[in-house]
Amino acid sequence: MHLTAFAVSTQLARLDWIDVLVIAIYFAIVVFIGFYLRGSSNTSEEFFMAGREMTAWIAGLSFVSANLGSLELMGWAGSAYQYGILAMHWYWIGAIPAMLFLGIVMMPFYYISKTHSVPGYLKLRYGDGARALSAVSFAFMTILMSGINMYSMAIVMKVVLGWDLNFSIWVSSITVAVYVALGGLKSAIYNEVLQFILIWTGALLVPILGLIEVGGWSNLRTQIATNLGRSDYVHLWSTLGHFSDNPMGVNWFGIVFGLGFVVSFGYWTTDFLVVQRVLSADSIRSARMAPIIGAAFKMAVPFIVILPGLLALAVLPFHLVAQDVAVQTGQHSFNEVLPLMLVRYCGPGLLGMGVTALIAGFMSGMAGNVSAFSTVWTYDLYGAFINKKATDKHYVSMGRWSTLIGVLISVGTAYLVQHAASIMDYVQQLFSFFIAPLFGTVILGMLWKRATKEAGFWGLLAGTVTSIGLWLWVRQDPSALRYVAMSPDAKDMAENIYRAFWAWDVCVLVTVVVSYMTKPRPVAELEGLVYGASVLPKEHDDHWYQRPIVWAGIVAVIFIFLNIVFW
Amino acid sequence: MRESFSIWWFAGILLLAYGVVIFSAGVWELSHPLLNPPVLNNLHAPIWWGAMLAVAGLGYTIGFRPRQTVNKRRK
Repeated sequence: MHLTAFAVSTQLARLDWIDVLVIAIYFAIVVFIGFYLRGSSNTSEEFFMAGREMTAWIAGLSFVSANLGSLELMGWAGSAYQYGILAMHWYWIGAIPAMLFLGIVMMPFYYISKTHSVPGYLKLRYGDGARALSAVSFAFMTILMSGINMYSMAIVMKVVLGWDLNFSIWVSSITVAVYVALGGLKSAIYNEVLQFILIWTGALLVPILGLIEVGGWSNLRTQIATNLGRSDYVHLWSTLGHFSDNPMGVNWFGIVFGLGFVVSFGYWTTDFLVVQRVLSADSIRSARMAPIIGAAFKMAVPFIVILPGLLALAVLPFHLVAQDVAVQTGQHSFNEVLPLMLVRYCGPGLLGMGVTALIAGFMSGMAGNVSAFSTVWTYDLYGAFINKKATDKHYVSMGRWSTLIGVLISVGTAYLVQHAASIMDYVQQLFSFFIAPLFGTVILGMLWKRATKEAGFWGLLAGTVTSIGLWLWVRQDPSALRYVAMSPDAKDMAENIYRAFWAWDVCVLVTVVVSYMTKPRPVAELEGLVYGASVLPKEHDDHWYQRPIVWAGIVAVIFIFLNIVFW
Repeated sequence: MRESFSIWWFAGILLLAYGVVIFSAGVWELSHPLLNPPVLNNLHAPIWWGAMLAVAGLGYTIGFRPRQTVNKRRK
């Protein structure tokens, strides 16, 4: 099905000159930062690691912002409309525990190993096999995801503002290419911090005005229940007893162990796209605090993403439909809920800020993807297997070129998706194939001295093959979902979660079995890489309230409290 | 002088610029009502939202202005 059939929808809004001014100010500052920082990215450490001089706050905000891409913003607002408050799990249990775990347990090992990337850590811990496997899969999938993000934004801009697809794709991607190629990771991080602020200032009015319109949270719940004739859209946990009791078709076991443990820990602790931001921190303390600061802000993101989706259920005078139905009927799809709500509440100027927030979301996501791609390509593929003895200057040059080429491949992917919509679904699934088993490999490598080089490679490979195999099985025979997700009532979301769960299990099992069958590395070689074989540097905080564990505890308490409030 | 601009100063400049633009648009709308006003237009969101952004932006712009931040709060 040709997705450009979206054009049948009528344009929702027309930008005033003042909206254009707001957008232009944003682009001007973003490009200025790239030029401003170009002179401070001359060495590979500066270009790929931002000189490792970011404070905890900058690294923390960048850590969250790199994840706030256009798919994330518009997709989850659409999911909230489709599935109700259950979408909140992807922001809370699906993120917060993993982020805190990264800060408290894993970050010291990433940081003191002085690795440049997650595949780089695998090289130190398991050797070249595991590194190559994870680097190739990461580089390939990251750049494809970047293209899909780009296409998602362009299609919404077309539907909402009537912008030409080519215009949206090329202007945004060239801007990202310019500022990342010039200023490297530092430029990407600086812009991500600005983009994070912009996303909030541009999108925050929607939930504020929406809650005023419906008369508060209690009235919103009542109105949703009245409009839909069911009350399961506004409960976070109480409907998760069985797959058939909630609109998402998932149960508590899948949410807690599949999403909350495997998927979440896989993404937030081993996906180099986000971990790279924390590795740029100026000290081990900053590196530990950054994910904790990120977790605090991540916990608040549902206010500008999930709440607008719920508000739309109560206030929109028409019904949104699935994307394939929207293409056929010309109605608006779930994914357009956030722009629709922006248009509902924002006049000239504010609408420009809202649109800028969406563009900023897209650009932060894309910059995250291409800067991570550039690092993994240069360090873990080109520098590790193709040209091992080049000068530092050569690697920086390769980083700049791979950034530009990465953007071009992303643009190509965006056009590919335009002509074959099903690729979008496939690539998103593919991404999940590698993340869950990678977490198994990394966490065993960090916490278990006995894990061997061969086990790292075979465990990662077995987990990935399991994930792909389960996916193919359900595609060939949809009734197989009852076995993969353990219930005939399970739906798509449950399949994704349980597939990751099994892939992780297989990865861990194979890693353990192969480890006992092969010769372990001497403990002395594991110094700085594994718990129990490393002496972590002492951190000296002047006061007890400066300790990362204290702030992690505060975030954890708020997290538990929120889950109880919205139970 | 390189990198003497703090990221928070950039954030302040951006917020200040947006605050002034949005606030001005809100004031302009008082005397030139919109043909197709958004929902809850009577709350004049551009005025108070723009003012808040401008105040926050001004605070950051002054607090992290380049001369004061060199060697202290560089980032």
